[in-house]
Amino acid sequence: MSLTTMILKMSEGLGKTCAIFFLTLLFSLPLGMIVALLRMSRNKIISSVTRFFINILRGTPLMLQLLAVTYGPYYLFGISVSRNKLIPVVIAFAINYAAYFAEIYRGGIESIPAGQYEAAEVLGYSKTQTFLRIILPQVVKRIMPSVTNEVVTLVKDTSLAFTVSYQEMFTIGKQIANSQTSFVPFVVAGVFYYLFNLIVDRVMGLIEKRLNYYK
Amino acid sequence: MKKIFALIMALVMLTVLVSCSGAKDSGSGSAEKKTFIMGIDPEYPPFSFLGEDGNYTGFDVEICQAACDYLGWEMKIFGVNWDEKLIQLDSNECDCIWSGMTILDSMKEAGYVISKPYYDNTQVIVVKADSGYNSSADLAGKLVAVQLGTSGEALLNGDLADLAATFGDVITADSFLKCFTELAGNAVDAVFVDMPVAASYAAEHEGYKIIDEQLGAEQYGIAFRSGDEALCDEIEKAVAALVENGTYAKIAEKYPDIVNNLLFLND
Repeated sequence: MSLTTMILKMSEGLGKTCAIFFLTLLFSLPLGMIVALLRMSRNKIISSVTRFFINILRGTPLMLQLLAVTYGPYYLFGISVSRNKLIPVVIAFAINYAAYFAEIYRGGIESIPAGQYEAAEVLGYSKTQTFLRIILPQVVKRIMPSVTNEVVTLVKDTSLAFTVSYQEMFTIGKQIANSQTSFVPFVVAGVFYYLFNLIVDRVMGLIEKRLNYYK
Repeated sequence: MKKIFALIMALVMLTVLVSCSGAKDSGSGSAEKKTFIMGIDPEYPPFSFLGEDGNYTGFDVEICQAACDYLGWEMKIFGVNWDEKLIQLDSNECDCIWSGMTILDSMKEAGYVISKPYYDNTQVIVVKADSGYNSSADLAGKLVAVQLGTSGEALLNGDLADLAATFGDVITADSFLKCFTELAGNAVDAVFVDMPVAASYAAEHEGYKIIDEQLGAEQYGIAFRSGDEALCDEIEKAVAALVENGTYAKIAEKYPDIVNNLLFLND
């Protein structure tokens, strides 16, 4: 198999890798905010239950969570395993990443000094207004580096979808490596991930620059 | 306080380092008893699998143990990641791959030393008993699962590519058990797998049937690193001696699903 065919074949899987990546971000970024707010809730029960779930999601391997979401419903309730593996894969990824994003958001929100809340109150801002207009814009700026970290990790984590037989780029790379008894597909995969992350890095850098409007 | 802690940590690390290198020394020093590391797929019954007692067993494992006993070697087992088995062999994690491994031309071309074949294998298709599929032609447009890195996968990409093209899609999973989970959970319609694996799975689990069609003829062998001809020779001689003294047949009796296809017994 020529290098060109190899790259073309793996590019087919790259579409599926991108699907996992973008859909996971689409769902986990907002979901993370909801989880963060629940985690910071004044209601002890809500916050401790949320904390418990965050701990489980961060404390167990994503690979296990993928297996649980994909095959769990079948083993527990006899529900058929989804034929479109993208659904369970994205559910597992989105929930897992939401847990990490939630903690990043929480760190950002709690880093805003209490004085700002007091000042906003004096100026007659409602609680929602304070959060949306004063706190959130600052939080977004502060958490960008940590979010970039997670997004970069996500690119590489997409290869875990292999454990539930989702035919993404790395899986196809492994198939080629096997049939050709060759190491080259792994190098190609490495280059693909690196280039993908290079783009992610540039885009995130651009966003950070845009947000840097006070400097 | 911090300094003392740092000192203790440094000491601990030093001890670990020293003990590691020490262990290595003693390993190469006592060269009288050679250690032979057998690379297996830990999920490949009846050739190699985790037994009821928590130790690896199976036909290949028992034969290798008997061969090592015969040679006076110590045997260790290393569970490989099947789709990376040759890389793991190359990196000295094990000394051979001996686990129902199909001999592929590409392995010989890549320079690996391959033993004489010891088993005639065919591929079969497993479906649910109530599915109504009776031949490979019935599977047109259906989803078929195959284990990544197996000869079945190689066949579907090679000699049987025409058949594979009629399938809706071929799904590759990282173990054959996952293929069967997909089948059980209706995520795929059939599993393409080696005959002995299919037979032992269908015997142990209800509700499956093997389509009566033998696809692709191939043979199992043992793979060694390139340049290990001498090692391959020694193992082959030991196995030949086991065949001679009847040990081989005795072990084979325990595995009725595969006994008819063992080349050394049916010559």
